Amino acid sequence: MAFMRKQATVEAIDINTITPEDAEKRIIAGVKKYATNEANFASADANTPYLGHIIGMGIESSNLADITMSIERQFLTRLTTKVPAADGSSEYTLAPGELGKLRILDGQDALAATPGLSVKMLMDLGHMTPSAPYLDKVVSFAYIMACGDGWKMADALKKMAAKAEKLAGAERADALANLKTLAAQARDYDALLADAGKLAAAKQKAYASDKAACDALTAELNVVLDKIKGQASGGDAAVVAKLRTEEAEIRTRLKMAAAKLRVSKEVAEDAGRRRPVDDGKVAAARKALQEAVAAAGTIA
Amino acid sequence: MALTPEDVASLRRQRLISRAVAVPLSLFVAATARLRFGYRLADIARVRREIWERLDAHDGPVIWAANHLTLIDSFLVYWAIFPMSRIWEDRLIPWSTPEYTNYYRLGGPAKSAFIRALLYCCRCIPFLRGGEDAAAEAWRQNAYDKCVWLLREGGSVFVYPEAGRSRSGWFDASKPKDFLGKMALDVPSAKFLCVYLRSDDQLGTTVRPPEGSTFRVCCELIDGVLPGETTPRQISRRLFESLGRLQAQWWRDCPQPKNCAGNDVVDLKSPALVENFSDDLSDADPEWLERHLTARELSYLRARPPREFFAAFWRFFCAKEACHKALARAGVIVPRGAFRQLEVDLFRRKAVHSTTGLQLDFRFTDDDADKLHCVAVLRGGALGDEENPGDVLWEVCEVAPGESPGAFARERALEFIASCNDEIGSSSRLALSEDGGLPTVLWRGRPQDWSLSLSHAGRFAACAFMAS
Repeated sequence: MAFMRKQATVEAIDINTITPEDAEKRIIAGVKKYATNEANFASADANTPYLGHIIGMGIESSNLADITMSIERQFLTRLTTKVPAADGSSEYTLAPGELGKLRILDGQDALAATPGLSVKMLMDLGHMTPSAPYLDKVVSFAYIMACGDGWKMADALKKMAAKAEKLAGAERADALANLKTLAAQARDYDALLADAGKLAAAKQKAYASDKAACDALTAELNVVLDKIKGQASGGDAAVVAKLRTEEAEIRTRLKMAAAKLRVSKEVAEDAGRRRPVDDGKVAAARKALQEAVAAAGTIA
Repeated sequence: MALTPEDVASLRRQRLISRAVAVPLSLFVAATARLRFGYRLADIARVRREIWERLDAHDGPVIWAANHLTLIDSFLVYWAIFPMSRIWEDRLIPWSTPEYTNYYRLGGPAKSAFIRALLYCCRCIPFLRGGEDAAAEAWRQNAYDKCVWLLREGGSVFVYPEAGRSRSGWFDASKPKDFLGKMALDVPSAKFLCVYLRSDDQLGTTVRPPEGSTFRVCCELIDGVLPGETTPRQISRRLFESLGRLQAQWWRDCPQPKNCAGNDVVDLKSPALVENFSDDLSDADPEWLERHLTARELSYLRARPPREFFAAFWRFFCAKEACHKALARAGVIVPRGAFRQLEVDLFRRKAVHSTTGLQLDFRFTDDDADKLHCVAVLRGGALGDEENPGDVLWEVCEVAPGESPGAFARERALEFIASCNDEIGSSSRLALSEDGGLPTVLWRGRPQDWSLSLSHAGRFAACAFMAS
């Protein structure tokens, strides 16, 4: 059965015949119907997050796959020849071939949180020629996420301050205690954003945890391999078959863990490598945090 | 089935040999733990002093019962509880019941022989958990009889009450198994030594704890059979409750959140949901499906009657989102769009996170033509069901017209929490913190470990939190 998407037909274009800026515009236009925050969508640029309502386009997580598929539908690429990732594996990578439909494989879009990062993804995957001047304008995934958290904290603090102001008596006392905690958290986060080294160290923890998960899986795989070895002499064929299935499952899990590890490694590295474009986003988030802290200070 | 004279002679021989090598073996265990893996035990002098006071006061048999997360837990628990100064107290050195398939055929002939010899000297009685045939049943019965014989001789036996490693990393005290209760009834003079041992870095089930881990131990000695207890279930329930208490005590000093739950709501009438489906909603774009579902999930979905196809897909999605939030609370981040890293079993109501192997429970609190609402729990308490309330509270409501769904969900969540607790009374006394990127309730200025989860979609907003 063919599936006709309930939308206007999109004419796909060879991605290497357009500029990164044009690709970005097409990507933004392609997600319009999923955006629920019209104001943010109207002013969206390379660094506007798809998700989130405060500074993002307000796209819901149920449309995450639609964003990727919308990009796939809009562009044609030369990377169309499927090459098996390993002998006998159903997984594949893409090599140069005839011009055809662009495919973004499982996990390749993990860092594409903004239109600019989507274009970067297309460059990183070899579908587009990398453009240093364009990439200089794209805020890294690490800072998109870090600044997003800052905006959320500032928003929560501002709302709490507005609420506390109207209260009296015991309720006000509790609200002020909460406000004090929120303000302290905002101040701490502001300090974290100010120091790229500290932020990188915080992200390094996530990397260490993913690395531990990978190591644990490797240990699990070794146990299964040892069990298979133990069955070599006079083992039960059914047991061996079960162990082989277990081995294949763990190897698949290891691949996913390795992909996740690559993401957290990149985030940790990017967090410590702040560029001027990241500075701009950080400054805006810090300003929002500081203003919220100041507003909270006037109430206490 | 009674033990044969050969079985008894064999046990006596094993006891004799293990007694002879107890000192070097204990040194080997401690040295390997400390030097090879860099493990440490926190505040262990106090723990040992307190538990040995109780053990010294009891001259009967002891059944060791502990939580189970790694393949080397028995060694770690023994190392933690048994100081070298007590190594001569032979009757208290426990016998273990390792699973035969996990330990007795590992590696090539040399490695396998070494492990078997080590396990023999460590007083192990191989146990076979799998298999329903007569031979497997006889094996289990024989192993059980050996344990009972050893206990009646005044010895100690180490058995994991959960009968396997906990896939969620949480000891579920609400699901007692009768095995140890039966054993206690067979040896009424025995007491249970309950141990909860874990490192802060241990998220779930692994082969061994991460290197450099520091373990904290909580333990207590409780009665085997109390007057009036006549069934294995009564005893097991009390034993599980005791381990549950120790678990709660352990988590009180843990820097990680104990409660890890998540929720998600789906508005089934939202126009955005039907985009990738056929007009009659009985099928969907295969590429789009494959971006969300694993092969196993797809095959389950394809087996549904066409009229259930649409809702079944969104059930998968809803469960995955709820589990994703529960995992995030435990510090496990599923990358954006990586829906296939979570595999959901709608029939068993379980989900597995592929990279960590963590298993979550979930249930649909709302499942009608209009909406789905799913709550998922990784740890911290029970999910509950239609008969038992569990530890998760939730609310699903329609977003007020003109309100921002996110702001509405947050405000409603605070009102709902306040309405669930007389002491709070008013939502004004609460606040929402976004520190760490996850919503956390503040009360009296302090973050609460309630694992608040928020969701909104289309016309609906929902929240869930844990009251355990």
